[in-house]
Amino acid sequence: MTGTSVYHRSAKGVNEERRVTVSGQKIELCKTADVAEGTAIKVEKDDLILAVFNLNGAFYVLDDTCSHGPGSLSEGPICGDVVECDFHNGAFNIKTGEVVEPPCMIPQKTYKVVVDSDTVFVEV
Amino acid sequence: MAKISIPAANIEYDCTDDTIMRAATRAGLGFPYECNVGECGNCRFELLEGEVTYLRPNPPGVTERDAQRNRYLGCQALPKGDCKIKAPLRDHYKSKHLPQKTQGELIEAFDVTHDIREFRFRLSQPVKFLAGQYGLITAPGVEGARAYSMCNTGESGEQWHFQIRRVPNGAATTSLFDHLKIGDVVGLDGAFGMAYLREDAPRDILLLAGGSGLSPMVSIARAAAANPALAERKIHFIYGGRTARDVCGESFLKELPGFGERIHYYGAISMPDDPSSAGWSGRVGFVHDIAEQMFGENINQYEVYFAGPPLMSQSVMKMLIKGKVPATQMHFDQFY
Repeated sequence: MTGTSVYHRSAKGVNEERRVTVSGQKIELCKTADVAEGTAIKVEKDDLILAVFNLNGAFYVLDDTCSHGPGSLSEGPICGDVVECDFHNGAFNIKTGEVVEPPCMIPQKTYKVVVDSDTVFVEV
Repeated sequence: MAKISIPAANIEYDCTDDTIMRAATRAGLGFPYECNVGECGNCRFELLEGEVTYLRPNPPGVTERDAQRNRYLGCQALPKGDCKIKAPLRDHYKSKHLPQKTQGELIEAFDVTHDIREFRFRLSQPVKFLAGQYGLITAPGVEGARAYSMCNTGESGEQWHFQIRRVPNGAATTSLFDHLKIGDVVGLDGAFGMAYLREDAPRDILLLAGGSGLSPMVSIARAAAANPALAERKIHFIYGGRTARDVCGESFLKELPGFGERIHYYGAISMPDDPSSAGWSGRVGFVHDIAEQMFGENINQYEVYFAGPPLMSQSVMKMLIKGKVPATQMHFDQFY
């Protein structure tokens, strides 16, 4: 992947709020080659524990710890745009963080992703 | 004595006559858990080496997938010897006051409603707790412990008071309500739970309760009222019952300084047509609807604590999510 691609991803209803914080701090997470297509890895940076997903070459970042419990989303099976938490079988849309399957009820926090050359960043 | 090691975190701790999660918590580690009785599944860990048995046979929180992946429930797993495990430790689950096993002598009991009774135990060894936390009670003649939240405040830890709702045909509450006499002794373990009063939260407080969710919400109201650091906070307490005879809690709040000024109580019923609701002049509706009507879009300005039956808790959570209350401002025991 070359050049700079910006993927704006956030939970439904908070897009406006996210848009005004575009110039936030940029945090380097990993190389694009670290995450194979259709998989996810866990990245810990400072206080953040994040799951970095690669869906068909596009990168998405969510909080790794499930909003429902201590499950780790980077360890969950991925089916299309959906990741299932392997703790309670709840599921989230990877692109929006929206809940797809209970028992999870709180949307998963998503991050604005920036891919610069071969490196994946989030803006916080 | 068994040694439990978590190689990924470079941690080792002792586990003697205890479950893997509870021993970790007593050692000050942030081992994930919620219900503590083998139901919710939040304490799952992967067994890398060693053998375990279960305290509670076939705990309901175990799934088929757990067996395939060699995963066990930490709150119920007893090590047969040294074990190596993988578990996602988090600071969120660390205890401020380390839980301890102790005993409590019943020194007083009185009815709060037709099916809720307050039981007061004096501990053989004081164990402090945070307002909103729960303890495990092992009642005489009953196999296994049950989790109940305390209703008093735990800064001295000399007594633990519980407001417990009778479960029809339930073994534990039958023992407590029908057989336990003043002077009798129960096993206690705790305190546990993450739904405790956040003393540093800079927001007014909203407490939502139904059923035996009364107990932890009363504890939090009492602790918040007594804390000088929270003297400027308003406290709103909504209690929902099915009928008028279920509604309770106001008598405890009336004892607090500031009641009617910064501390407010609202009772509500969901079955106004029931004969036992005759003469009810208070609010009608479910707790989540009443809270939504009262606070509207300002609800995200509150630190919200809630406890009650699963259906109530889920409805409250849906309402709070719709009201854009950040997850960090919601505090509840995730028992399902």
